[in-house]
Amino acid sequence: MPKGMFVDTSICTGCKACQVACKEWNALPHEPGHFRFDPVEKRPVAVNFTGDSYDNTGALGATDWRRVRFIEQFSEDRSRGRWLFSSDSCKHCNDAGCLNACPTGAIVRTGLGNVFIRQDVCIGCKYCIPSCPYGVISLSIATGTVHKCTLCNDRIHNGLGTACAKVCPTGSISFGEIAELRKAADTRLAQLKGLGYGEANIYGYKEAGGLNVFYLFLDRPQVYGQTESVVVPQRRLPVSSAVAIAGALALGGAALVSFRERGSRPEDGEEVKT
Amino acid sequence: MNPEVHIPGWEWYYVAMYFFIAGISAGAYFIGTLAELFGGERHREISRTGFYIAFPLILLTPPLLIADLGRPERFWHLLFYAKSGIPYMNFQSPLSVGSWALLLFGAMAFLSFLDNLVSEGKLQSAPFAKAYSRIPRKWYAVVGSIAGFFVAGYTGVILNVTARPFWVATDPLVGALFIASAASTGAAAIYLVMSWRKKLTDPGLPGFDRFDRLSKVLELVLAVALVLIAGKWAAPLLRGLNAVMFWGGAVVLGTLFPLAAGWYATRAVEGRMPPERLATVMAVLVLFGGALLRISLLQAGQVQ
Repeated sequence: MPKGMFVDTSICTGCKACQVACKEWNALPHEPGHFRFDPVEKRPVAVNFTGDSYDNTGALGATDWRRVRFIEQFSEDRSRGRWLFSSDSCKHCNDAGCLNACPTGAIVRTGLGNVFIRQDVCIGCKYCIPSCPYGVISLSIATGTVHKCTLCNDRIHNGLGTACAKVCPTGSISFGEIAELRKAADTRLAQLKGLGYGEANIYGYKEAGGLNVFYLFLDRPQVYGQTESVVVPQRRLPVSSAVAIAGALALGGAALVSFRERGSRPEDGEEVKT
Repeated sequence: MNPEVHIPGWEWYYVAMYFFIAGISAGAYFIGTLAELFGGERHREISRTGFYIAFPLILLTPPLLIADLGRPERFWHLLFYAKSGIPYMNFQSPLSVGSWALLLFGAMAFLSFLDNLVSEGKLQSAPFAKAYSRIPRKWYAVVGSIAGFFVAGYTGVILNVTARPFWVATDPLVGALFIASAASTGAAAIYLVMSWRKKLTDPGLPGFDRFDRLSKVLELVLAVALVLIAGKWAAPLLRGLNAVMFWGGAVVLGTLFPLAAGWYATRAVEGRMPPERLATVMAVLVLFGGALLRISLLQAGQVQ
């Protein structure tokens, strides 16, 4: 039975406990410090701030498998405002661009439906990196291989939930079987619609063959940085290949008219010398 | 289109140079084969030169590919599954199928190279030559050419079949463009080597020149079409160094100028070759343009 996570962003408080739990359980290295002592000024100066609300993670990558996004929405005169939070991670797509692209079989899907990178097989070719339509994977210079969220592969195969879901203080992230999570998501969506959140929607039922980590958003997915029309790269492979083959055939045709005509009229060629 | 899709960080001096050198090698090889298949003995020197070029150049490419890996010592995982040691191929991954195509192409290019040496009398070992002549040359040349077209084209398909906005927007033309460029750079390399070996005597040269022009026209059409279909996502190709490399290098110096100069020099007599000095300069420009084409399209997809 496939397992996954449901992220109900409507009750996320942006505490980043999930990010901390993820780093702890998976022993991921810390990020560069945000202050550095400046020898000229003789005082600490701020570095590595994104300037984007409370988000200083910036992007998912080899050492950041979770990232809480902060979306500030204000009216023109700033009299009304809304602050949206969304804890983002690998979505463990059922049609996973990274897994499809991997030339070595390093990226596999386990029996629980999660997409997992075998570190001893990965060669660091980096093809999975642009093949992920969500920008999740990146290369670690330290290991020479790529890394991403494993859906706590070790925990879930031993009867535990994911570390981020375990630690989430509001229940925004829940771990479980996809079918049950979907039931809970639909119930919650109906409740929010009833409360007047007309824009509320669930993201991940149909995208990329269905996402094993899916979301309830209060606004359009684009607002949360999630692409609304996901095309898994490999679905474009047949047309791409066909056009390349057509190019090859066109050259074959050019060769046929160029080489054969000259070959069949030997008297022409004799006069022509460079 | 999701601008948050990460850039792979492929280094141009490894990956674009691999695309470029593999393109010349594959182009020289399939031109050599097509010239022999369609033109017969009259093109013997052209096809021989193509086979002389293909093998040494393709030997240069694996080190470039391997050097760009995060774990170079594991490169063999591309061909054999690391857990079991049995051959592995992922049909959805052009990079996986391309690795096998590269191996097949290299093997066929090696056979054709040996055949050249034997037929020119540079390799004289009676038992070897006897066994060798039993394999018909055209057979492996055809297999090698199909693999060669694949090697030339999959490098472009690799870029298109990702989620990076620029490469998505230029889908599905980069594969065909790289094949056309493989033909024009392969032809340029053949011309330069023939000129250097003082073998510009083939009666088939005008046909070769004509094929070369047709491939440049195809390349030009595809390059312009690629920018048009990309629309606003073509922006990385329209500014800065990428624009200089693509428009100035690949389009103007690499295709437009050689086409125009070749046409101008031969406009009076149909089927005449351009003068050797001009043709040599143009061939160098075509090679230069082919390299810049690969670099600019690789880098335009990796603009943050």
